[in-house]
Amino acid sequence: MEGAEALETYKKKDAAKVVVRFKAVGNAPIMKQNFYKITAANRFQAVIQFLRKELGWKTGDPLFTYINLAFSPAPDDTVANLYKSFATEGHLIVNYSTTAAWG
Amino acid sequence: MASSTPTATTLFRRLCWDGTVPIEVKIDSKELPAGSDRTLESFYIRAPRVSYLPLLIQEVKTFLFDLVLDEASAKDMKTDDWWFEAEGGALLKWHWPVGLLYDLHLVAHPAPDFQMKPFTIILHLASPPTDKLLFTPSIETCKQSFMGQLKEADFLRWGNTKRVTGLRKEDQDGLWEGIVEHNFDDFWRIASKIAPSPNPLAPPLTPNPSSPTLPAPSSRPASTQPPSGSDRDNAYSVRSVPVRIYLPDGPVIQDLVPPFLEDGLPHSLNLFLSAQLPLLFKPSPTSPLTPVDPNAPKSNLAFALIQGVIAPLDCEMAWLGACMSGADGWVNVCIGLDK
Repeated sequence: MEGAEALETYKKKDAAKVVVRFKAVGNAPIMKQNFYKITAANRFQAVIQFLRKELGWKTGDPLFTYINLAFSPAPDDTVANLYKSFATEGHLIVNYSTTAAWG
Repeated sequence: MASSTPTATTLFRRLCWDGTVPIEVKIDSKELPAGSDRTLESFYIRAPRVSYLPLLIQEVKTFLFDLVLDEASAKDMKTDDWWFEAEGGALLKWHWPVGLLYDLHLVAHPAPDFQMKPFTIILHLASPPTDKLLFTPSIETCKQSFMGQLKEADFLRWGNTKRVTGLRKEDQDGLWEGIVEHNFDDFWRIASKIAPSPNPLAPPLTPNPSSPTLPAPSSRPASTQPPSGSDRDNAYSVRSVPVRIYLPDGPVIQDLVPPFLEDGLPHSLNLFLSAQLPLLFKPSPTSPLTPVDPNAPKSNLAFALIQGVIAPLDCEMAWLGACMSGADGWVNVCIGLDK
């Protein structure tokens, strides 16, 4: 296999799904369902958009997202990368807040 | 503390910090207002690798206002709407360090003999595609993103972000100011409180008789035994080294990178890359336990560029984390194909 061909193989999007668990922080509304299976190849930005939709948030409504109550990931990082590094007991825990919590 | 950081570590950190890249900023002439001097369409900058595109805007602005724009248009110009593209139309990320953008460009568009050619970027003066940039292009969001990366790296190393959140507010701000001012001493006076340190005082690893090919070059700090838990800042006692692999035109790969593998050998760049990219890097000679993949290449098809340097594959991951990481604590490994 040539190098260029190998690069093409690595570009293919993985269809695998992982479990993302949403946890409200502070005054943020709690979600009735908080476990979702999300395609791992998605960027974290897609998770933020999904969450905004589920919460019925309008454009401009403040929403801050964190992993493991600790840090905000870059929105262009993939769910797969975050899951591999930070999953707890098979779940990627995403905390959300209406105010900056761990800025 | 800075005073106790080993000299070799300080040297590598200094080399990474002082590294600059040549950039040619071209202004999209369609967006220049009437009355501009169109003969001066390019502006050259030597940008620090640790800097970010929003931090270069002030210098570009001075050039544009002094030489290109007439007085009336200069007054109306808003830098809030500025954004950058690579030649060919790839959007340039505001929140990625300039050195990473340059290295990625280099591996995707290799010049003959790796000549240090300027990286041409196009400056647009209007209509930023905010949905694709993911951030409002501003210095403040760039700073927030930097802090986020710093904390993510801290969490990977130690399982919490106490080292970063434990810094006083003025020290947290001081880190960012150190980048803005490109001041090594100001930055590392604070950063050395959170960065891991390779431990050259520990006894070197005894060569493993079962792997006679274990390389032992003298040009890098000796390996260390897994240290006891008392050494809270040792690069070899972290849970995982913050590393990302960047392939030309994507994707970006991140995984847990423990400093030692199960067999007790230090985790090396060779072991890491052949595990993550087995189609590009042949299995490491120091990994006799790995079953050989029939698709594995007989020789390496690619190389690893870290901080603009083609990294020797026997580098240890923990050492890379302590000495070759960017200001945000991440080791960015750009992969280029061998010709």
